[in-house]
Amino acid sequence: MSASPAAVLVAGLPPDVPGWLSRRLGGASVHFLPAAPEAAEALRASRFQLAVVDAALLEPSVVQALAGRGTDGPALFVTAPAGTPGPGLAALLATLKPTRVFHHPLDREGLAREAAAALGAAEAAASPAAPAAGGLSAAVAQVWERFREPVLKRVDVVEQAALSLLEGGLDAEARRNAEREAHKLAGSVGTFGYGEASRLSREAEQLLTGPGELGQADALRLADLAVAIRRELQAPIGAAVPAAAVPGAVPEGQAGDGPLLLIVDSDREMAERLAMEASGRGMRTVVAHGADAARGSLARRRPDAALLELDGEGRTLELLRELADGERPVPVVVLTRSDDFADRVEVARHGGRGFLRKPISPPRAIDALEPLLRGGGEREAVVLAVDDEPAVLEAIRTIVGVGGVRVETLSDPLRFWDALESAAPDVVLLDFQMPGVTGLELCRVLRNDPRWQSVPVVFLTAQTDPDTVRRVFAAGADDFVGKPFVGPELTARIRNRLERVRLQRAIAETDALTGVANRRGSEDVLERFLRLASAQNEPFALALIDLDCFKGINDRCGHAVGDEVLARVARVLQKRFRSEDVVARWGGEEFVVGMYGMDRADGVQRIAEALEVVREEVFTDPEGKPFSISFSAGVADYPADGRELHTLYRAADAAMYQAKAAGRDRVVPSGWTPERGEGPRSVDVLVVEDDDAIARLLQHALETRGYRHEWVNSGSGAVELLTGPTPELRARVVLLDVDLPGMDGLGVLRRLAQEKLLGRTRVIMLTVRTHEAEVVRALEMGAYDHVPKPFSIPVLLQRIRRALRG
Amino acid sequence: MSHTLLLVDDEDDIREVAQLSLEMTAGWEVHTASSGAQALAAARALKPEAILMDVMMPEMDGPTTVRHLKADPETAGIPVILLTAKVQASDRAAFEGLGVAGVLAKPFDPMALADEVAAVLGW
Repeated sequence: MSASPAAVLVAGLPPDVPGWLSRRLGGASVHFLPAAPEAAEALRASRFQLAVVDAALLEPSVVQALAGRGTDGPALFVTAPAGTPGPGLAALLATLKPTRVFHHPLDREGLAREAAAALGAAEAAASPAAPAAGGLSAAVAQVWERFREPVLKRVDVVEQAALSLLEGGLDAEARRNAEREAHKLAGSVGTFGYGEASRLSREAEQLLTGPGELGQADALRLADLAVAIRRELQAPIGAAVPAAAVPGAVPEGQAGDGPLLLIVDSDREMAERLAMEASGRGMRTVVAHGADAARGSLARRRPDAALLELDGEGRTLELLRELADGERPVPVVVLTRSDDFADRVEVARHGGRGFLRKPISPPRAIDALEPLLRGGGEREAVVLAVDDEPAVLEAIRTIVGVGGVRVETLSDPLRFWDALESAAPDVVLLDFQMPGVTGLELCRVLRNDPRWQSVPVVFLTAQTDPDTVRRVFAAGADDFVGKPFVGPELTARIRNRLERVRLQRAIAETDALTGVANRRGSEDVLERFLRLASAQNEPFALALIDLDCFKGINDRCGHAVGDEVLARVARVLQKRFRSEDVVARWGGEEFVVGMYGMDRADGVQRIAEALEVVREEVFTDPEGKPFSISFSAGVADYPADGRELHTLYRAADAAMYQAKAAGRDRVVPSGWTPERGEGPRSVDVLVVEDDDAIARLLQHALETRGYRHEWVNSGSGAVELLTGPTPELRARVVLLDVDLPGMDGLGVLRRLAQEKLLGRTRVIMLTVRTHEAEVVRALEMGAYDHVPKPFSIPVLLQRIRRALRG
Repeated sequence: MSHTLLLVDDEDDIREVAQLSLEMTAGWEVHTASSGAQALAAARALKPEAILMDVMMPEMDGPTTVRHLKADPETAGIPVILLTAKVQASDRAAFEGLGVAGVLAKPFDPMALADEVAAVLGW
């Protein structure tokens, strides 16, 4: 620091003077030295044109350094207490012969003028009250330029903490340091326009502040966060989106036409963070800190969606009802600290579309809400209306088809079966009398198919005599409406049915112990996803998760602890997976996760991430001793492993047993084969990396994902393993650090190319971001891919997966 | 109308931006201090109309500094606004007994800081 040339050195003055002076001198470089030792060092070692030193700092070392500056040397200003100097100071001033002496209180304008004269530079105009906004942004940007480096050092501290954690050695003090730095980052960088970096820092802070020991998964997350924060902060300042520190301050209707989100949370800070996250995704937000305040805002404008915190007094439920009712129901997601099943039912009964448990990170909360805004999250209710008169169908469509209800119509009863399959209705509306097939017959057929046994059927009938009514109910109908029907009555009857369906579903399809779907509740959804996957030509991954040694836990700790384990694992899974995923408990200690749009490898990756989190959960046995758990999982996908749910399940089950056999605590894709004893060893990934910490981290991540892998710490070692007439090892992917002692990464790559190994072995180079020429050379020599350091583990794993594919 | 304000923050970058922002958008006269101890001295000497202070500072933190300010008859009447990056409502609750005029969130938006301060103070 002291060796860098500075035009002006300022020592012992209030800390804002340097920045201010720099601005007044048109951005001249002004170096701040807070204390005597730094000042003495800098005055000796650096070239400067002007030094401004406070008398309080004139200790012998500083005086000595200043005395050596010579008469033609740089200018010296001394700031001294008001009044006649004491004898000591007078003597010092006589020795040092300062160019100027200023007295306290400091005349800053005078200082700026004299400094400008001493530097031969133009003094920038004083404009304390200039309100020009552009001026402020530019000034903020200048401040950022000067402070970027020290701010990035804060990120280093956080990153260092992550690395220490990975090596198992983060002591309490280092953790507190990292926590403090993360806190400072969270509170400051947003001001410079780095809102995302601020959010990420906040997450890092919360991770570090959290209770208990931090584990490997925390370390990975923290390392990721540090990398992401640095990347954000390295972007030019203008590229960042200014932090919306005053959410809700954006006047309605002004900020474009993003959807309007109502946020009701009594915790102001949480509400603000939710708003910040939402506005980052192009939504407009209105924040209210209670149900009453929210009503006031509703009167002005109806939101497109709402996020409500559930209070204890039922006011939120009333508000929820108001939002969910009416012509245009507003989709509402409820946030609550309770995880009580009864609350869930209550929320569902009042029309809530989602239920999130606090604490939850704002990004996750908004994630859950976004599909509702797109209208794709919870699908709309579907009513299938069957009547031979098109005019009646049209009337039904008009009356019933509002507010999240879609009406599918069918005028030809003979095509009933097809319509049923394609519409998958929540309610069926049948005309009593139709030519060809009667409504009663259709109803009986429907009730004989197990899939449609519970779909509510409402009859439209002109006859309402007791006999007809008896026949209608005997055929399995749930309700009837007399013809000609009156709009409100029909709507009410159908909504009534839809509500019951939703409620029954929530109750009958949920596993009471864990709150996730049970087998019955999930099979339908899984089947629906499978059909959708086939129609859309998308993959679909099915994972089977089985807790390791669960019986032992039950035997040793009793069933109460076993139940707690199941509930906590369910909670982790529920949190980790998106609303488009299906998480279910299929019995015992077995969970099923269906992932739409994901293939086997994607699925393994995501389940492995969940495993990393599950491993960190700490349980307590009856003696008070902590223990942790793991699971084994198998992942199969549509269409590779089958087109039916049961074939996919079988494939996933077989893979899960392989995971158990290979030592448990891992995720294995279907089709995985254990290593054979003959010929060269064969691995998925060979890691060539001389940094122990990074290598261990990678190995752990690879193992969790069921990859066969090995590690070698030198280039020559790698060449020895992979080449020669009888190579010891065959690797599908080599992860090659470019920077190795002895033979470097490019050297290894060259040898592999000479041995014509690059056809069956794909090489991913770990490169240095700034050395582009090196990257280009590596790619020209046949490297498959490159990932710049510092890398994020998830990104790297993604690239490894890509290399292993194909 | 111009006001005088004392700004207290140990982070140089944030202090500078806040000062710039208040000076340039509102035209107030902004004095600065970088520690609680400096703030106490400056408050006595300058008698600013209000004090804007960071919560988390080494040695003497914001709340402690506020207690000292409130204990001194010379400075007890100066309204204090705290700036905090604390996110929990429970953290916020800890400021309640201090007698501060308001609490503002960090990170702040430099374009809006003066407005927020003015709103708290009724300027």
